[in-house]
Amino acid sequence: MNYYFGILSVKVTVSKSKITKVAIGAINDGGNSRSISIDQYSIPLLEQETMQAQSGNIQSISGASYTSAGFAQSLQSALKQVGLK
Amino acid sequence: MGTVVTFDLFDGAAPLMSTLAPIVEEAIDVLHRADAMFSTWKDESCISRIRRGEMSLDDAPDDVKTVLEHCREARGASQGWFDPWAMPGGVDPTGLVKGWAAQRSLDVLREANIGGALVNAAGDIASFGGPQEGQRFRVGIVDPANTRRLACVVETPGAIATSGAYERGAHLIDPHSGTPTTRAASATVVGSDLAMADALATALAVAGAQALSMLGELSDYEGLIIASDGTLHATPRFPLAKDVSTTGG
Repeated sequence: MNYYFGILSVKVTVSKSKITKVAIGAINDGGNSRSISIDQYSIPLLEQETMQAQSGNIQSISGASYTSAGFAQSLQSALKQVGLK
Repeated sequence: MGTVVTFDLFDGAAPLMSTLAPIVEEAIDVLHRADAMFSTWKDESCISRIRRGEMSLDDAPDDVKTVLEHCREARGASQGWFDPWAMPGGVDPTGLVKGWAAQRSLDVLREANIGGALVNAAGDIASFGGPQEGQRFRVGIVDPANTRRLACVVETPGAIATSGAYERGAHLIDPHSGTPTTRAASATVVGSDLAMADALATALAVAGAQALSMLGELSDYEGLIIASDGTLHATPRFPLAKDVSTTGG
């Protein structure tokens, strides 16, 4: 198994109130497929958008573990819907 | 087995990527080195060699000694509910290493002189500052009964760790019985240091609500349990966000 960390993508956001948010994904991937890695990085962002509506303003989530294959699978279809795959 | 780690940096002054990038690279490197040293999935890691008896603790690198010292402290603070020496196969600090590494990774980000930063290692979060001046980070806790929604929102003072079955099932070993046991659907601990919060959350998930009083004896840490019936049980000063309704209890 190969593990690696790397910067997947960098997203810089400047909002109206002049807060800069830099989101950088670093992944440790014990698996093989790079596409799975990208899916796993995208999961927290997509889920957060869904959850924002429920909870007002949050910056992160705790408790879900983004390592299960089933989770990655359900995400792949979500990514297709938003045109990322 | 893979772990997603995300870095979120916040600052009103819009620092340049050219300034931030090398600092973030260094923060990522901390995680890489911790993985090489502590991964039980890697045969050649220090911890694997120690578990096989090929390396003595005296010969181990300082970081291994430091982590094992944190484990001793956490075992004491959790009254034995977190016990890396009771794990099958030899000493296994995995329940604390992720938090320890993420906390050290966050500490590198302080060099960036920004208003706030969050390192989220698969749901264990180390942070300083906040999204804006005078605000704390707000962290949603995933509802263990429905992982597409949140059970509650927490205003974290720094570190926040959550442990529980979630989709991996009952993988936490009860040190007292030696068998996989979870008495809570999920347990969340907040405090100043993520290594300790990580270990205490693991302990709380195994022990269940009976152990909330154990947290009461630690001035720096607060805990929350989500029971399998969906009710929430928290220590009195647990920083639940007041403006958000919770799913249970």
